[in-house]
Order: sequence, then C-alpha cells, then structure tokens
Amino acid sequence: MNRSPLHQTHESLGARFVDFGGWEMPVQYDSVLAEHKAVRTSSGFFDVTHLGRFELSGTGAVSALRHLLCNDIDRIEPGRCQYTMILNENGGIIDDMIVWWWDSETFWVLPNAANQDRVMAMFADQPGCDVQDLQMRTVMIALQGPQAPDVFESVIGAKPGRFRTATAEYEGGVLSMAGTGYTGEAGGEICTDPDTGRRLLQALVREGVTPCGLGARDTLRLESGLTLWGNDIDETTTPLEAGLGFAVSLDHDFIGRDRLVAQSEHGVERKLTGLVLSGRGIPRSGYDVRSDDGGVGTVTSGNLSPILETGVGLAYISPPTDLGTGVEVEVRGRWVRGTVEDPPFHKERG
Amino acid sequence: MQVPEHLHYTEEHEWIEQLEDSRIRIGITDYAQDQLGDVVYVELPEVDTEVAKEDLIVEIESTKSVGEVYAPFAGKIVAVNDAVAESPELVNSSPYDEGWLAMIEVEGEIDTSDLLDAGGYGNLTE
Repeated sequence: MNRSPLHQTHESLGARFVDFGGWEMPVQYDSVLAEHKAVRTSSGFFDVTHLGRFELSGTGAVSALRHLLCNDIDRIEPGRCQYTMILNENGGIIDDMIVWWWDSETFWVLPNAANQDRVMAMFADQPGCDVQDLQMRTVMIALQGPQAPDVFESVIGAKPGRFRTATAEYEGGVLSMAGTGYTGEAGGEICTDPDTGRRLLQALVREGVTPCGLGARDTLRLESGLTLWGNDIDETTTPLEAGLGFAVSLDHDFIGRDRLVAQSEHGVERKLTGLVLSGRGIPRSGYDVRSDDGGVGTVTSGNLSPILETGVGLAYISPPTDLGTGVEVEVRGRWVRGTVEDPPFHKERG
Repeated sequence: MQVPEHLHYTEEHEWIEQLEDSRIRIGITDYAQDQLGDVVYVELPEVDTEVAKEDLIVEIESTKSVGEVYAPFAGKIVAVNDAVAESPELVNSSPYDEGWLAMIEVEGEIDTSDLLDAGGYGNLTE
C-alpha cells in the first residue's frame, strides 16, 4: 500500500484513512457533510497525491496527444489545461484525464490513479515521446472553494486562472499549479516536492482552510455532476453516452473516432442522466431506474446532496429521456420518485 | 467509544434498554454510528406494526453506506423517535439518548441471555 508523504500531517489532524486504488488516503477528518459544506461556502484542501501524473515531452508529443485523445489539444495553447479522454477502438473510455500544457513540447498528463501505468505506457509507445513518472516523487494538493482564490493569494502569493497553469516559489520549493479541480468550485491543484508540500499544508491549516477527505471529494463531484471513471464511465461507455461531448472534437483523427461519428449521426441508445429524488431515499450504484416515458436504466453514482438535502444520482437511461421527466429509483424494494435534472444539482435554477 | 453500563447489546451493534411493562427501547451504538459516518436518512417503521424476531425494522443511510437494524425480539412497535427522521444527525451526536430509534412491546418474556453486556460489547469493538 502506498502512503502519501503527507500522511503524518493527516494523522495529526485526526484523519481516518481508506484504501483507494492501492493508496491509503484520508477519507474524512471530522464529518463528510461538514467538509462538503466548507468547500461550498469557504475553502477546503484535499491531499490528492494518489492521482496519476506524468510528464510527456518530445517532438512527437503534440501528435501523440492528438492521436490518442478525443479532445483536440489544438483547441488550447501553452499555459492552458484541457479535460480529455483516451478511448479504445470502439469508443469506450479507457480513462479520462486533464492535460496541462507547460510549453511547446512539454505537457503533464493526469490520468486516474488506477490507470497511471497503462496510460503512461500508451504514450511511451508513440514516436518522439518521452514520459517521466511524477507520481512517486511529488505530492499533490487540491485547494477548492469560493474563497480558495483568496487563499492562493494570501498563502502562496499567486493563483492559477481557470484552466490555466502557473508556477510559484514557496519557501524554497517550486509549486506547479493549475486552475482545475473536482468539486465544481473555484480553486486549483498544486504539485510540489514532499517537504514543500508539508509546509504548504501546515500553512493552509493555519489559514483556517478545512482539511477534506475523499468522502467529501466524492459527494462534491457527484453534486456537481462530474463523472467518476470506474463508476459512471469505463471502457463500455462512450463520451457521447456519458454526456461528455464537450470534450470530443470530431475535427481531428483519433482512436475511437468512428464510433463517435456514428453515434453523433444516429444518436445514442442510452445516456447518462442526472436524477434528483423528491421522495425519501438515496440512489446507490446498481439500483434500477425507470422513467415515466418508458426508459429503464441503472444508477452509476448516487448519494445525498448535502446542499439540497435530498438524494441525487447519475444513471444510464435507455432510451434517453428529457429534462424534467419523472423517474423512479428502486431503493431496496421501494420505488422513490424523482425528476431528470441537469447537474450541477446544487445550483439554483431560475 | 461510549458503552453505557445499563444497556444490553447485540453483535450487530444495536443497544437495547429494558423498560417497564415488557417494553424495550432500541438504537445503534456509538461504535456503529462512528463506522457509518454522517447519518443522512433514517427510515422508521410504522407504530403498531407487529414484528418477528430479526425482522428488518429500521434503515439508516449515511453518506457512506446503509445500516440495517433488526428487531431483537418479537413484538409490536409502540413508538418511534420522529426526531431522528427530522434530524438524522441525532444518531451521530447522541446515539444512546436523543438518537434512539424505536420502542417495542415484547411478546412474552424478555430473555436477555443471548445479549451482550457492556463489558462483552466493549471487548467486541476493541
């Protein structure tokens, strides 16, 4: 089992740990609900050292990114970040990831923890590409929340713009940062060496930023409608079925493109759909769903929305159904009513 | 973890308080609420429901998972704690007191010989 170099700091903050993809990481410190609300109203930090990350460089780097990934790196430029996916020949999602573009031929690729080795190997096989593992010699901290940008300024003295990269010196170390995250809030993610990371974490604690575990990270991403690879998306689902078409560019050639072209012409047979329950109950992964217009499906992620104080979830429904359609989720033998809604679930609609 | 001396316990982390007139009050232990994490829903039975021993009577949902509470004896549900339906967090903050779940009028003798005392339950969760 891998441990974050920040483990002792978490222990001193009263963390409880969980095994996540071979890493022993904090799942909660005090309360998942309290941590969730801190990130929605002020700021929280997460140790996300388990996340995959490697540097991709070389004359073939841009070509490799365009060939392997369904989003087009040519849509952005150096200094920016992009959400993208690597697909199989059938359009299924091998992994989803963020790419940080540092300068012309230098990128950081951040796959899911469980897929680091596989994705890194796929890039290493491309001509003109060098890959260098960053996962085992750095730490990664996410700083999220409406007040996170202020904390970046006050503690670090710099902040990354939304989906932009930045670097800063911090107490003798270097912070590599991006304005990205997995909570639906402002903020960013910071990668640095373990010693600098420990000092930064202590400074964040002193600043009053709430330590948050993977429990709150999961309820936050779900409430924002962000998919989790392995739950909502995997090699049997395509980006278009998962509602991730915003990260697909059919204007370039990439592995899996043919299937997506066919799906965009003929439509998808099922679609990942947001559900908000009005009855009492929480949808959980694997629960059956039926929609009032005759669709059927299965929940892939679900929990309480701490902000709405009601059950919310994501489910594949076939055939796809419209926003506002009534649905029912079978919660241990009881059909609980709800509605199809577009995430983020916690944002006021008007 | 708190394990009050005056209660009986099951290996499924329920506590049972013997009251007068062959009534019992039940809830989940401090250990159980700690393992579940933030409780967000409590589904209570209807008052006057007849229950058999080991019937599922209460479901407790947390942000992590679902906990199930079973009837320790056959009998009839005579009261439920509506406060926990309104404020599920009471199960976390006060598992032995404000977070009680249901009251059962037990059919026949209350035989506590299969239950654990505080010492026995304390050993189980160490």
